[in-house]
Amino acid sequence: MQLINTILIGITAGSIYALMAISMVLVWRSTRVINFAQAGMALLSSYFGFEAVSKFGSFWIALPVAMIGGALVATLIEMILIRLLVKHSSTGPIAAVAPIIATLGLLGVIRATASMIWGGQDVRIIGPVSNDGFTVNGTTLVFSPLKLLILITVLVLMLILSIIFQKTNIGLALRASAYAPEIARLSGIKVDWVRTLGWALAGATGAVAGMFQTINGNGTLSPDSIDFSLLLVSGFIAAVIGGLDSLPGAVIGGLVLGLMISFVLMYISGGLFFIAPFVILLLVLFIRPQGVFGAKAARRA
Amino acid sequence: MHNKQSKHTLLFIAGGVVLYFLSGAVDELRVYQGASIAVYVIAISSIILLTGYSGQVSLGHGALMAVGAYAAAVARIELNAPIIACFVIAVLAAAIGGALLGAAAARLTGPYLAGATLALAIGLPSLANQFSILGGEQGLLFDVGFPPLSLGEEFTQYKWFFWIAALAALISMWAVKNILGSRYGRTWRAIRGNEVAAALCGINSARSKILAFTISAGIAGLAGAMLSMTIGTVSPSAFPLALSFSLLTGAVLSGITTLGGVMIGAVVLVAIPEIADSVANRLGSSERVTTNLPGFLVSALLIMTVLFVPNGPVEQFRAHKVKKANSKLEKK
Repeated sequence: MQLINTILIGITAGSIYALMAISMVLVWRSTRVINFAQAGMALLSSYFGFEAVSKFGSFWIALPVAMIGGALVATLIEMILIRLLVKHSSTGPIAAVAPIIATLGLLGVIRATASMIWGGQDVRIIGPVSNDGFTVNGTTLVFSPLKLLILITVLVLMLILSIIFQKTNIGLALRASAYAPEIARLSGIKVDWVRTLGWALAGATGAVAGMFQTINGNGTLSPDSIDFSLLLVSGFIAAVIGGLDSLPGAVIGGLVLGLMISFVLMYISGGLFFIAPFVILLLVLFIRPQGVFGAKAARRA
Repeated sequence: MHNKQSKHTLLFIAGGVVLYFLSGAVDELRVYQGASIAVYVIAISSIILLTGYSGQVSLGHGALMAVGAYAAAVARIELNAPIIACFVIAVLAAAIGGALLGAAAARLTGPYLAGATLALAIGLPSLANQFSILGGEQGLLFDVGFPPLSLGEEFTQYKWFFWIAALAALISMWAVKNILGSRYGRTWRAIRGNEVAAALCGINSARSKILAFTISAGIAGLAGAMLSMTIGTVSPSAFPLALSFSLLTGAVLSGITTLGGVMIGAVVLVAIPEIADSVANRLGSSERVTTNLPGFLVSALLIMTVLFVPNGPVEQFRAHKVKKANSKLEKK
């Protein structure tokens, strides 16, 4: 029973990490930037969601509100910050670290702004269904209706995303701009706008991850919440396991990471909550630096 | 070259003399802030060495500082080591940690390295809760003792902190300056510029990168020990992720490749909370805003610097001067 519990918890947490990883992969594919502010954007979107919950009282209205808010924020960031960054800081010794530093600064700005507006007290987002575990044969599982719902929603979202990517013209443009921007441009794709679209999609996906991370935890939301630091690190690690470039890779990376963390916590020690992801990341990077699903590393010269 | 080196040495001695008289002339709060500036100077110079010269990004220097601080405190409490030995132990412990991290880092580039060190910065401080010798969430006391009586009755504790930290800052700046001017500094710059070309010149890039990480970590460890000296305790909460970020901000503000600008970053980092306070007071804003304004300013400044003076004010000024001189030459 403990084994099933561990697996189910791992998969639920992993599916949230997978969403986060997807949003990081979307940004990486569109602008070759690792967005360390993604968790901050998810936090901000979750606060939009919280405002919507307290106004309309329904989680199912709040979720789209958070997604739209997240997409708008991401669009603004891409159009203002990232375009300026490409213009000003792509030469000199700073070039390699400029995107990293800029997105970290962004993370700080978002966190501080959120603290100024909503900080001080924890606010709550109540999930649409109960987080009390199912009871099977008299024993209560940790797996709850809420976790089941999260799992289903994440699956549906991934399905929608893969349909967008595989079956629509927008998806084709997104893929083309990621793999060969020059050729895409020659084929009449407005690559700049496609990039912005990539960020917007990432913002919306990250918003869902933020909302679910909140209700999957204890339901409280705070700017300094450790949940969001964990989301940031786990999303990144999941994306790296998946090879940074691949959406299916990000999903599998998220699930693998969720399961591994869940097993470590259950069978080794609960105190390893924060160091486990680091060790897992190092292991992955040592064995396959380009990620499990990444293409072969490009030649350096 | 030899001449230049002795000039540096003289410069640092002169700096020490100036600081000595300065510390007598200002009030207690400024002395404490001076100590903080010295701590930041040490920490930022370690980032400049690592990121500016060897081209590796570390968001985990807060964690390496924690390693140094804990090592110093444990040596002080368990072994009752003299204070200088504590600092040496701090440097060595952090350097060993840095060598291990560097071995991993040498295989990673850009965003991968940033992410790995970020995970470390979040993970490592919480590890302190796992071992009882490290004192859990409360942490350990780290007491360097009272200033020696020979310095006089009026010599305050903070002034003593300041002296120790300033001396450490001068020594580490001197060391970093010389290392960067040596063959290793040139090797690192070559790798940063073009790793393949450097390898073709016979540079073992992995080994040089690990060396850079080790030295940088050792200096960060010293900074960590100094930081815990000024606050008197070592605990996980003294080394949050925000610390690693502010170090990076300080380095970028200083100019990531200009060691000479290191004071700029350190002074700004120490001054920002005070500026934020006075701004918030003037606006009469709520406590929420007041407590978060420093973080906001640091981050906003970081973004602005990267966007508009990416190579730092000193470098920008120099480039401007060169440009001006060139255009003058053309006119002639």
